[in-house]
Amino acid sequence: MNKTVLQIIRFVVLVLFQVLVINHIRLGGYVHPYIYLIFIMLLPFNTPKWQLLVLGFVLGLTIDLFTGTPGLHAGATTLMAFCRPSVIRLISGNQKFENIQEPNLGQLDGIWFLRYALVMVLIHHFALFFLESFSFRLIGQVLLRILLSVPVSIFLIMMILFIFKREKKRE
Amino acid sequence: MYNLQRFILKHHFVILFILLEVISILLLARSQNFHRNRLVNTSNAVVGKIYEWSSEVGNYFRLNSANKQLAEENAMLRRQLSIVYDTTASIFNMNEGDTLYEYIPAQVVNNSTNQANNYIIINKGTLDGIQREMSVMSTDGIVGVVTDVSRHYASIMSLLHSKSVVGVRFKNNQEIAGLKWETNNYRYGMVEDIPTHIVLQKGDTVVTSSHSFIFPEDLMVGTVEEFYPTAVDALSKAKIRFATDFSTLRHVYVIKDLHKPELDSLKAKFQ
Repeated sequence: MNKTVLQIIRFVVLVLFQVLVINHIRLGGYVHPYIYLIFIMLLPFNTPKWQLLVLGFVLGLTIDLFTGTPGLHAGATTLMAFCRPSVIRLISGNQKFENIQEPNLGQLDGIWFLRYALVMVLIHHFALFFLESFSFRLIGQVLLRILLSVPVSIFLIMMILFIFKREKKRE
Repeated sequence: MYNLQRFILKHHFVILFILLEVISILLLARSQNFHRNRLVNTSNAVVGKIYEWSSEVGNYFRLNSANKQLAEENAMLRRQLSIVYDTTASIFNMNEGDTLYEYIPAQVVNNSTNQANNYIIINKGTLDGIQREMSVMSTDGIVGVVTDVSRHYASIMSLLHSKSVVGVRFKNNQEIAGLKWETNNYRYGMVEDIPTHIVLQKGDTVVTSSHSFIFPEDLMVGTVEEFYPTAVDALSKAKIRFATDFSTLRHVYVIKDLHKPELDSLKAKFQ
């Protein structure tokens, strides 16, 4: 399948899954998992940097349209996209990905991906929950939200990627 | 000029990043206002449609409880109607001009309870006569205020919003206070400006006050869940349990205040 078409499908499916399913899960007042970040995480390694930013912004803004919070997810996701090249460099060290197209779970080892997901989700959630409170007034509540949401997001992200990985092998 | 070009090309990643972040924060800052920006408004048509499809699926599974709720409300209204007819049969005469409020029924197509600022989208818009600042109630109690309207949809600032303040009154002592949402729980609100001489009991009824200008008077808001009397010379607090269950909200009524234009023009004279 065409790479661009695949990315578009991935974008639409993740956004719909986030706003129609995940956003309606209630796990107490503090847990807000976000899985749409998978889209930015899985973009190919050779994606131009400016494209990362634009895609991050558009993805965040799309989520914002559904949640009625213009700028909130856009800001957090743009920051995450901005950090992505540095994060990949930081985690990989001397490791080279010459024959790997995109940071997928099937092609990279699980530990690498878990660290990647952890850093990316942390950046996103920190930015998101602080922007959401729009001040440092309720810092305890914000930190608690981050602390409880990050593990749930990572768990869901790893689950989703794991399902996709198995399907790829079967083909 | 050449240097500038080179600078932009060299640092395009950082410059673009800063630009996009500034846009995001500007959007976010503007959306903090009661009147939100056009962006959300124009998107309502597309987003509303998608949410409507999704909620139509969910509605099939809730038909039973929805029916029950509507039947109960019907029974209550019939009871009230019979009281009115019996006691004031001779003078009771419903004319168009006598009604203060018009109720527009609507269905919730999307609703959140777990954000810091929660909004509800309903499937009625300007075509059905919905306007900004109209109040919204459910069978059980008040829900919120309309903040944005498109042709077929409207978004409502729920009581579960950090900027939401409703003028309320304690029914048994007529004391007026302001209800906010500060907890993270969708079931409870907070009243923080109760004078020291007032003592509340658990279960005391809270209704809307006539001072709110948005909600009609005497609509059910909730009950006192916990009362925190203050020891020092300050104001007491009380935790209020909302009468409306925001997690299962389906059918709501938008309240059109027929005297609002009159009231607004009078208010404008003083400002």
